[in-house]
Amino acid sequence: MGGDKTKIILSITPPLLIIILLFYGGIFYGLVQSLGYQPAIGKYEINFDAYYNILFSERYAKLFWTGLALNLWVSFVSTFLAAVLALFAALAIRKTFFGKTVCNFIYSLNLPMPHLVVAVGIIFVFSQSGLLARMLAQLNIISSPGDFPVLVKDKYGVGIILAYIWKESAFFFIILMSVLQSLGENFEELAQSLGANRWQRFRYVILPLVMPSLFSASIIVFAFSFGAYEVPALLGVIYPQMLPVMAFEFFLNPDLNARSEGMALSIIIALIVMILVIIYFWLTQTRIRKD
Amino acid sequence: MTEVNIVNLIKNFSGMTRPAVDNISINIQNGELIALLGPSGCGKTTILKMITGLLTPDNGDILLDNQSILSVPTEKRNVVMVFQNYLLFPYMNVNENVGFSLKMKGDDPKVINKRVQEMLELVKLPDIGERRPKQLSGGQQQRVALARALIANPRLLLLDEPLSNLDAHLRDEMRELITSIQKKLGVTCMFVTHDQEEAVLLADKIALIFDGKLQNFAEPKEFYEKPINVSAAKFFGGVNFIELNKNTNYFDSSIGKIISNQKNVDELHSKCIATIRPENIKISRENIYQDNFFKGKIKSVIFSGTHTRYKIVINNLNLECSLQSLGIQNINKEDEVFVNLPKDKIWIMND
Repeated sequence: MGGDKTKIILSITPPLLIIILLFYGGIFYGLVQSLGYQPAIGKYEINFDAYYNILFSERYAKLFWTGLALNLWVSFVSTFLAAVLALFAALAIRKTFFGKTVCNFIYSLNLPMPHLVVAVGIIFVFSQSGLLARMLAQLNIISSPGDFPVLVKDKYGVGIILAYIWKESAFFFIILMSVLQSLGENFEELAQSLGANRWQRFRYVILPLVMPSLFSASIIVFAFSFGAYEVPALLGVIYPQMLPVMAFEFFLNPDLNARSEGMALSIIIALIVMILVIIYFWLTQTRIRKD
Repeated sequence: MTEVNIVNLIKNFSGMTRPAVDNISINIQNGELIALLGPSGCGKTTILKMITGLLTPDNGDILLDNQSILSVPTEKRNVVMVFQNYLLFPYMNVNENVGFSLKMKGDDPKVINKRVQEMLELVKLPDIGERRPKQLSGGQQQRVALARALIANPRLLLLDEPLSNLDAHLRDEMRELITSIQKKLGVTCMFVTHDQEEAVLLADKIALIFDGKLQNFAEPKEFYEKPINVSAAKFFGGVNFIELNKNTNYFDSSIGKIISNQKNVDELHSKCIATIRPENIKISRENIYQDNFFKGKIKSVIFSGTHTRYKIVINNLNLECSLQSLGIQNINKEDEVFVNLPKDKIWIMND
């Protein structure tokens, strides 16, 4: 027995060390920097000045709170719309029909696509000089491409939302397809024989059955879009700016004093995401206990 | 109470060499309990799905009280199906599951609650309304599924393999419950099974289906005593078959002359098959010189509690005989015996 325990400890130690050193080590180093500890520039005192500056100072507070609002807006809307789009696509594609494999492939193709490529694609298609604006101008629906509404690099983050919908709906789609296929159609057939019409079958049968998976996937997508940098960096505006872009700019600032604010901002982003994950686990545990 | 007429029903699936359902016609009277019996893949569940409207027939018609229902959508047919694996909605409690169809109709919640309680009492589960499906045993889940179907007051109740997922002791209990409720409510009911014993014990009539074709539609007793062909006889446990050549008043066979009391001999072909159930064969040590008496040898004796089974060979023909163990004569392996095939118990059929 003792030998078995030693073997287990020895086998899990290398991956555990990598996680502790690289991941938690990085977080710990960022945390101490956010608390003002920067020996490289002679700062050894631990304080909450950077957090105070970010949250309440005249210089940064407005940037932070508008950035947070934009972050929440973009993440909520893109997650919700990507989930809805994927749900309807999965419901349409799950039944056997001619060309199902092709449709499935086209929809799933977004998944391995890098976010950067998707962001560039959004610029090509939805910007005022993009494909859509030119097509509508050619068709005389708008008088010139410049009349096309500003959807990319706009203050409401429409371009960012579109990029996340495009990309993340494929993730939702794959999860939903596997859930729907494992469920089969028996529950719906049963509900139909019990008098449920199409809408009632969707509302009272499909939605409750897929909701746990949809909810789990939504948490992952929300957490990702909340903390991701590259899409808002490419498709966002200077003000309001999404928090990850703001944090990275603090980090790149030649004034090393700004690094504490950048780290504080990163820790705040991580905390918000962690709170969401905790809420998710609490909700799922409550559900399990209830069942 | 609904009369059901299935008329020349045909269903093909792509990739299949024969129709899944091949020209089946069945008439079910008001309040009857009918079994669709056959091996897996014979088309039983396909028939149920066509009746509910989940599948569309390629040909034929389905009539409830002489009105075709083919153009009526599933949700408006009021033909309710209880699936083999119960399919209780896992996110609803028992009350919500049972009241589902009334909620879909938009009934008042107070009315729904009252009806749910009535149905739970009917299936003898009055106190489990707040439980989730996971907290129920298989038998309880089956009862809840039955209550959920009955609350809709269906014109026709369809049950897909209703007892196959239950333990032996629960089967008996459930069988009694289904028959008592069905008779009490008078609902016309059709169930699918591959178990001939289940069909015999539950059904008023049995529709035996092989390869999508209806073999026979009759009362259970007939399947034991007067099977339509060898396949049907074998499905109901028939083991004794004797090839015959028809003569004027008797039949020739490899074991000698066979005489039968059967009335429909005119319908028989010149070459036909006789069958007799093992429990109808008599054996004795003395030759009584009656009709259908043959000399044979015991090849094996298998004691199975209340009955003892003998394998007998008569002139290279193997027959099986089953006698009550109690008060049995001392007959052993390799003993020579006289075998009587009573002429009122022997059944001759074309094949």
